[in-house]
Formats: sequence, structure tokens, C-alpha cells
Amino acid sequence: MSTKGIKLWDENAVPRHQIQWCPGCGDFAVLAGLKQALTELEIMPHELMMCGGIGCSGQIRNYLNGNAFHGTHGGALAYALGVKMTNPELKVITLAGDGDTLAIGVENFVHVCRRDPDMVLLIMNNGVYGLTKGQSSPTGGLGQTFETFSEEKPPMVDPLLLALASEATFVAQSFSGDVKHGTKVLVEAFQHKGFSLVNDFSPCVTYNKFNTYEWFREHVAYVPDDHDVTSVEAAQALVRDFARRGKVPLGVIYKNPRRHEPHNRLPIWTEQLENVDRNVVLASYR
Amino acid sequence: MSVRVNHLKLLVGGVQLRDGVTTVTEVLGKILTRAGLSAIAQEKGYASTIYGAHQFDPMMITEEPAISFGDAAYDILVALEYDSNPDAPEQPNRDTILRHGGGVKPGGMLLYDSSTGVVPTDELEARGVQIFPIPARKIAQGEMKREVVKNTIMLGALLRILRFDDDLAYFGKLMEERFARRGRDLVDLNLTAAQRGRAAVDEICAAKGYKSGVRLEARPAKKAVYISGNECLGFGGIVGGVRFYAGYPITPASSILEFMERYLPKYGGRALQGQNERESIRAAIGASIAGARTMIASSGPGISLKIEEIGVIGVTEQPVIIVDSQRAGPSTGMPTRPEQGDLNLLLGAGHGDIPRIILAPATTEECFTVMLDACEFHDKYQCPIFFMTDLNLSEGKKTVLESVFDQKPKLDRSTLLKEEDIHGKEYRRYEITDSGISPRTLPGTPGAISKTTGTEHDESGFVTIHPVKRTQMMEKRMRKVETYLREDWKKPFQVGDTRGNPVIVGWGNTRPVLEEAREMLVQRGVKAALVHFSYIYPFEKAYVSKLFEDASAVIVVEQNYSGQFADLLQRELLISTRRIVKYNGVPMHPTEVADAVLEAMKREGTIVRIGSTQPIKVEVLRNEHEGD
Ligand code: SF4
Repeated sequence: MSTKGIKLWDENAVPRHQIQWCPGCGDFAVLAGLKQALTELEIMPHELMMCGGIGCSGQIRNYLNGNAFHGTHGGALAYALGVKMTNPELKVITLAGDGDTLAIGVENFVHVCRRDPDMVLLIMNNGVYGLTKGQSSPTGGLGQTFETFSEEKPPMVDPLLLALASEATFVAQSFSGDVKHGTKVLVEAFQHKGFSLVNDFSPCVTYNKFNTYEWFREHVAYVPDDHDVTSVEAAQALVRDFARRGKVPLGVIYKNPRRHEPHNRLPIWTEQLENVDRNVVLASYR
Repeated sequence: MSVRVNHLKLLVGGVQLRDGVTTVTEVLGKILTRAGLSAIAQEKGYASTIYGAHQFDPMMITEEPAISFGDAAYDILVALEYDSNPDAPEQPNRDTILRHGGGVKPGGMLLYDSSTGVVPTDELEARGVQIFPIPARKIAQGEMKREVVKNTIMLGALLRILRFDDDLAYFGKLMEERFARRGRDLVDLNLTAAQRGRAAVDEICAAKGYKSGVRLEARPAKKAVYISGNECLGFGGIVGGVRFYAGYPITPASSILEFMERYLPKYGGRALQGQNERESIRAAIGASIAGARTMIASSGPGISLKIEEIGVIGVTEQPVIIVDSQRAGPSTGMPTRPEQGDLNLLLGAGHGDIPRIILAPATTEECFTVMLDACEFHDKYQCPIFFMTDLNLSEGKKTVLESVFDQKPKLDRSTLLKEEDIHGKEYRRYEITDSGISPRTLPGTPGAISKTTGTEHDESGFVTIHPVKRTQMMEKRMRKVETYLREDWKKPFQVGDTRGNPVIVGWGNTRPVLEEAREMLVQRGVKAALVHFSYIYPFEKAYVSKLFEDASAVIVVEQNYSGQFADLLQRELLISTRRIVKYNGVPMHPTEVADAVLEAMKREGTIVRIGSTQPIKVEVLRNEHEGD
């Protein structure tokens, strides 16, 4: 991999925009892996559209080259959907946290899984709301056992199972403590023709004192080579089996592309829009 | 007896989803349009329960286009229900008659389904109303063995009463277009049914010696269509370059989604049914980022759910046209009743200040023509473009001359920069400009990177809280308002001299009714003027101030409780207004408006509430007006 390629991803970003993550934040590794994956895939920055969520992780869009949009909390996937539907030639990735994706944005998560646009969602999952100083998110409580629950403190959501239940066609998990593996997963996600979920565990060193790098190192385990990625039942069984054993699976868990109706880039330019045949409409109303 | 030709109003009523009220008016509107006449059916009455409620559809029919749909007074009443209305079981086959019989003009006609019995109509007969009891359902089930043709029997009877389409040429042609593919039998069945209806009326006329006081005559066909406001605005969007549409089902905006799903793909575009109101507007913002002209539509409740994104549109400067097809609020309100109650919502939608343009077409035709402007503003001003209609204008249909649709769109996309435009220059997405407009590149353009965000940002799109940069960026965005007023705002429609006269002021879809009310006043010797806004906000204060300067009274007429547009005028122009408001869910009618204007002219500060149970209120604004 050429260093020149990687450098391309630093233009139009840092140092114009200082990185404002806590030292040691898992998002640094995600950034490195993302730049590496884009370089390997030979994607050019102008072809890339990043939709950032609200939160620490969403800031990543400004820390590397490429077009970026940042709107409301929970909205990133739906913006990305509109971008991709309009211009299928773009490489589209949504970069958001677990709160953004699975709390306020869960409506988009579920339905974008169903719609299956050819784009990537990278969740930087740390179980907390970092930017607002550490409140628990829907993925909070990973690996912990609780005697009791309450309306205020419900059990966690597993994004993998939710994605599988929502008819996602590519479901994978990575850990920012293993950038090499994370990069590989991300490359595969971009290559998948359809919607690809990558749930990356990127520890919040400031607010999540339980799911630390050390904790993850002890608990992650790679998806075995003989796992059938095309079977949704096998995928669900794998996630549940790992959980029973107190393990967190890393790798591609499900991959089964669907057939899609082809769509061209929508007409954009004046010459494509003028001289429309009005008769197509008027004939029905005469 | 003299016969009035080509000028009448009728009402068709019945049980929703069972009696096919709108199939009757739809067929009628279409064949009258083909016969060179003009129809307006924009006072639709229906309910949001699906089956069983009372439904009605009044229609004004004229030779030259009528100014408005006129008053709630009918030459012909058609009651389609054959037995009890589930909504009013105590009124077997007479629900429509009881509800609307009072509106039948002396000498008018009543046509009803007498299958389950004859309705006592002494009171109507005493007013000279001719009564046509037709056992349509009985005939359909018995002789014709097909219950579905009961409406066709009634339609045939109606055509006979109108003394129109004697040989059923117009009707037959339409049936052929609709059913020929499904078999000749179906066409013939409908023709026989229509003839059977005609014969039934013939018999009654012969027996009772009835002669109709109105009739319709075909005229040389004009190039015209029978079309709704929602269809016109959707079509305007397509002609104006919209290629991405998103909408979540909601009355009365759903028909825009249906229209776009049907036609956008034919023009290379896509229409997305959102999974919720937020997904619709967010996907539209995404489509706008990728370069499409985009439109969404909803009604008040849905617009409320979208509000956070309206701020995003304003600050990221990624434009979307937002159609608000208003219905009576607040909350779920009355989903099938019209109102102009969303103005305050759209004026204030979103926290903080953003530039916004609010348009409110006055007519079905303007749904198309003003939409062409909305499409240009989309690109030029890169801000939320609101487009307000209401239930009547959206769903109601009208004969519209096809020449309206010949208007050429500008399709000016010069604010989209291409590779060659930025070559060798430093491109900044949010460049500070005098006009406030910053041209943009689309993702995918080599050599250009756009970083865009709803967080405050600098010219390059990077987040900032720097006081000077913030001030510059806020002022840049808001300068678009001045540019719009200077270059694109259109003056209000005006009739009559405002100097020394009472000025009726309105906005949006009430214009035809207000025009007719003004004419009535002129005939009564009151020299009222009308000033009516379609480009409602922002507006050129100096110009509008001048219009009202020497008026004897400024009387703002609108369909909401508080007088939202009157409040806006007072706030912007520091003038006092008199108000006429209506909020009972029934469209405004010309005579009641004319009467209310006379009432409002009496005193400064008058608020006339049409249809209200409260007495007329006079707000004493200042002491010096006492004794006015
Ligand atoms: S608060 Fe947590 S998530 Fe946010 S930057 Fe710091 S370590 Fe990362």
C-alpha cells in the first residue's frame, strides 16, 4: 500500500481541522483503518460521500478527505439513502455512533437495512454518549450481567441481531484494537453490493470504564472459517453462541446479496431536464 | 319559462366508498371539459373514516371559467344513497337530502335513489323544486343484474336532467377508454345503464310535466384538462426539473405521492414513500446534496415532524421544496377539512434564524406556474422553499386550459459548479458573497470537496464558534432574503383602487372566492379593492405599506382562528387590521365574505368570525379610535 495514497486522505482535512478526540479514543484507529481501506479500494476523495452522525464519532468526516454531510441526530442514514438513490456512482458511507444509530436513529437503521442501498454503515460503538459526557446508550452494558432491569435501565440492543431481523444483507463486526482486521472487513463491506453494516467496537477511554481495550482483548474472538455467511440462521446462531460463551465475534457474520432493480443516476443537468414531453401527463387528464 | 344555459351548480352526495360520489363527479367533470365547458369541484366533503360517512362533492359548471366555485346554493342535488347511511342510520336514503336540501335553489331539482322508499319532499316541492325519485339500485340489481351500475343509472338520469349528451357520445367514448380493454360487454353495460337512467327521467317528466330551468350545451372543444391542484403542482415540479420526490402518506398530500410514483419514473426520476415523515425529508436532503431538484409534501402534522430538518436545510444550504397541503389543525385536527392554519408554523419552523421563502398558489393554475418558480428558487436560494396549498385546492378538481402548461421553465442550474468552473481556483462551499448565494459543487466532481454541516461553519464548511466567522456566515445566509426581494419576489395580485377604499386582503387558495366577494360588493355599491398574495413571505415592506397607506380599512380574510396573516402584516408593517376569519372546516363562500366585509367596515378592530357561535368582537386598539 503506497504512502502517497494514504496521504491523499489527509488533504482537505487535518490540520485545517484539529482532531478533537480524547487521546486513546478508539475512533483514531477507525480513522486509520478507514483511510487504509479507501486507499486499498482506490477510491478517490471526490467520489466519496460521508454522512456523519452527531457525537464524537461523527466528527471523523472532517478528519479525512472526501465530501461530507452532517445534519441531525439520527438522520445520517436517511441522508445517505437519498444521496445514493440520486447518484449510484458515488461511494457512500455513514459514520455514526451507537446512540445516533440505535437510539434516536433506529427508525432509519431498521428501514435502511430493508431498503438495502449499496452503501456502508460504520458504527463506532462504545456503549456511551461521549460528547454529552457519558450517558448510557442502547448498546451499553455489553458483557455485564445484571440481576434486575427497569424501564430506566433496559437490556442492551445487539445491532447485529437487529440488522439480521431487519433483512440486512451484510453484517460484520470489528474492533479498533485490530486495525488490520477492521480494514479487511471494511474493504469487504465496500465491495458488497447492497447495504453493509460494520459494527466497530471503538472504546471510549473517558466514559466507558468497563468495555476497555483490555476487556475487548480478553473477549473478542474471530468468526471461524467454516461459518456459513450466507445463512441467516447460522448468523443468528453464531451471535447467540458467542454471547453465551461471553465472547464478542469479529469478522463477517452474514453476507448474502439480493437482486436489485438497476437505477441510473437521476437527470441533473439542464440539458437532461428540458424539453420534457408534457403529453405523458396531460393525456390522462383530458 | 326561460332556460339558463351553461351556468349551474350541483351537488352529488352519498355514502363514502359505497356510493361512488366522486366517480360520478369525476366522469361528469371530464366529459364537460371535453365538451368545451368549465367545471370546478373544489369543496369536497368527506371524512377520514374510510367507509360509511357522508361524502359530497359540489360542482360549479359554466361556459367561460367561473371566478370561483360560488355559494353553497345548488340548482341540482343528487343523492346517491339507497338506504341507511351507517353514519346516520335514522335517515334512510335521505341523508344527503336532509343535509343539503336547504341549499337547493327555488325551481331547482332533486334526483335521488328511491330503491328503498320514497322520501317526503313536500317542503322542497313547496319551493318549486322538481323531484326525481329513481330506483337506481333496484334497477341495477333487478333488470341489469349488476349492482355496480347503479351510479351509471344515476349519472344517465343526471345527464338527462341537464339535457346534455343526448346520444351519450361523450359518455360512451369515456367508457370505451376506460373499459374497452376489459371487454366490450362492460362498455355496453354502462351505456345501457345510462340509457335506463335517462328513460326513468323521461317518464317522470312526462308524468309530472316537468321542464328543466337549466341546461348544458356543448361548445367547441378547448384544449383543456380536468385536474387537481396536487396533480398540477406535481406536474409543475416535473416540468421544473424535480427528479426526486419523497413523501409519507397523509391526507391531503397523499395524492402527490401517488402522482409522483406514477409519473416521475417516466421522466427518469424516483419517488420514495418514506417510512416516516423524517425519512422523507432527510432522503430529499440527501438527493439534493447529490444534485437532484427535490420536492417533498406533507400536511400540518407531518410538517411538524419534519421541523428539525428545516433548520438543517437552512444552515447546510441544501435546498428542498416543501409542499404543505394544509388541513384543519391543531394536532390531528380535522384531516379532511380545509384550513389556512399552518402559516405561523412555517414562518417560525426551526430554532434560530434561517432564510425561507413561502409561496401559496391562489389557483389550480398557479399550482403549476408558481411551482415552476419554486423550482428555480430551490437552486438559486438554497433554502427551504415552502409551497402552501390546502385540502380544497389540493384535492379539488377543475377544468384547466392546457396553454397553462406550455410555460417554459428556466431550469437555471448555474449555482451548480462543474469541474471546469473551479479549475485553478480555491473552491469554498460557503463562500461569503454579496448576494448571500454560494455556488456549490456536487459530490463526484473531480477537484472539489464539499464539507457541509448544520453546525455553524466557516467558508470551507468546517465547524466554528468564532464570533466573527459566525456573524459573517449568519449575515451571508440572511442576505439571500434581500436578494430574493430584489430579484424574484412577485407583487400581490390587485383589483380595484386601494386609495380611499376598503381593501380586502387574502393569501393562498382563497383568491377566487375573495374576487367574487369583491365583485358582489362593487355591485352593492361598495368600491372595495382586493390585494391577494401568492408570494407571501418575505415581502417587500415598502411596496405593501404603500398599497395600504390610504386604504379606508385593511380587512384581512383568512381561514384560521387567529388571523395569522393579519398578525404577520401587523408585525411587519406596524399597521392595524380588521379581520374576517373562518375555522369551522367549511370553505369560504363569496356571499358570506361580502357580508362580513360590510360588517368589518363598520369599526376599526373588528373581528368577524364566519360561522361562529360567538358575537362579533371589536378589539379597541387605541383610545383615539373610540367613536369611529
Ligand atoms: S469522549 Fe469517548 S468517544 Fe468521545 S472522544 Fe473521548 S474517548 Fe472518544
